[in-house]
Amino acid sequence: MQGFEGAFEQVEFLLIAGIVLVLAYLALEHKEIVYAAFFFGFMASFVAGFFLLLEAPFIAGMQIAVYTGGISALIIFAVLLLPRAQDSSLETFASKRKRRIGLMVAAIVAALSGILALLFPWAESFDETFVIISNDLNELALWLWANNGIYVQMIALIMVTSLVGAIALLKMDKAEQIGSIRGDFGIEAEPTIEEDESPVDEEPPAEEPEEVDA
Amino acid sequence: MVPLSWYLILAFMLIGLGGYGMMVKRNLIRILIGAEIMGNGVNIALVAMSLYSPVFTFTGQGLIILVISVAAAHTALALVLMLMYNRRYDTVDLGQPIQKEEP
Amino acid sequence: MRLFLDFIPVLIWALLAVVLVVVMLLASWVLRPHVLQNSEKTSTYECGEEPIGPARISYPYNYFVYTVLFVVVDVMGAFLWLLSSSNILWSDATKYEVVWQVIVFMLIIMGGIGYVMKMLPQSFLNGEETLEAYRKAKAERKEEPHAAGGH
Repeated sequence: MQGFEGAFEQVEFLLIAGIVLVLAYLALEHKEIVYAAFFFGFMASFVAGFFLLLEAPFIAGMQIAVYTGGISALIIFAVLLLPRAQDSSLETFASKRKRRIGLMVAAIVAALSGILALLFPWAESFDETFVIISNDLNELALWLWANNGIYVQMIALIMVTSLVGAIALLKMDKAEQIGSIRGDFGIEAEPTIEEDESPVDEEPPAEEPEEVDA
Repeated sequence: MVPLSWYLILAFMLIGLGGYGMMVKRNLIRILIGAEIMGNGVNIALVAMSLYSPVFTFTGQGLIILVISVAAAHTALALVLMLMYNRRYDTVDLGQPIQKEEP
Repeated sequence: MRLFLDFIPVLIWALLAVVLVVVMLLASWVLRPHVLQNSEKTSTYECGEEPIGPARISYPYNYFVYTVLFVVVDVMGAFLWLLSSSNILWSDATKYEVVWQVIVFMLIIMGGIGYVMKMLPQSFLNGEETLEAYRKAKAERKEEPHAAGGH
């Protein structure tokens, strides 16, 4: 039974690792950026399988809740808000030679750090015979909320910071909002819309020609 | 049980792949996706180390909870900055010359 | 009992879902009549209306704030989920120190969300500004042929 479990775990690891690597490569290399964002979401949900293999059920749940549900939704929504980014004919891809050089540098860095990690001095102490498995959520909650409660408040402050930063950045030039709709049925707006109320007719021809054609 | 080195090799492959994306790609959103892939690799390495270490504590898992929360926050801010970049320069491509600049 | 062995039913269900989808797609491909495809057949169905313009227009950026709000609530829910899956709020040893942490955490997050909801109308144009900008753009559009030479 023990041998079967071990073999099953190794087969499962190899399966999920292959899926994750292929999906990560597709998320970087797929031509359409919408598909790339979707592949990133799938990759993030398959990474949760590793956390289940590593006896961390809450981390797996949080990975699916935050990465798959939150971050990939953020990326997909940002791609939907940027139609210029969706057009793959406008995207400049790196040349073959540059891509090969980048792949080689990344492979060298990954291999060197992997060798360093495998050769590090206390590698013998990381032996699987000593592993004590505990997936007690009570202990984790005690660690996070009771012993290190200040971290939770810091996370709350960081989330509030991101919220306030988002609203402050988006509030900066609100007059350009309807300028983002272009084409036959859209309209163009002037950046200084809230300052001038009466002189509507004088200003527009000055900045007009470069705005419409862009 | 799967040896620790398998997890570490996978984590470093993910980090290398994300670094390749960050080095080669020109689109800002793809660069962000590369950074997120690197973050996933780091998360796997940290959880594996915390499970296989001789004295098991919940420090690794608690740290990962904080890291995932901070990743959500910085992704949101980075995407808002990308929207502002697109509004100002009318592109999200770092390879293209800046076309439009507003005072 | 290792944890991942508890999730074998999930794996079986995932395989079943994939097989079911593939079989249904294949069956519908085999069974459906292969008729000529023209632009009338492949156009988007919009409740009988004729589709106008491209689907990929750009929406106002301000709607991104709602996604950021969702992510913040998501992370808050994850932290409270950890709390609710343990008994540290009910055991006498820890409940008096944890309840203050929870109250402060909720107050900070709810304060941030309330501030953003209060500032949200300021990031959009209000009705008068929209009308004004629309009139101005319409006047510019009318002047444009004259400026370009009237063709």
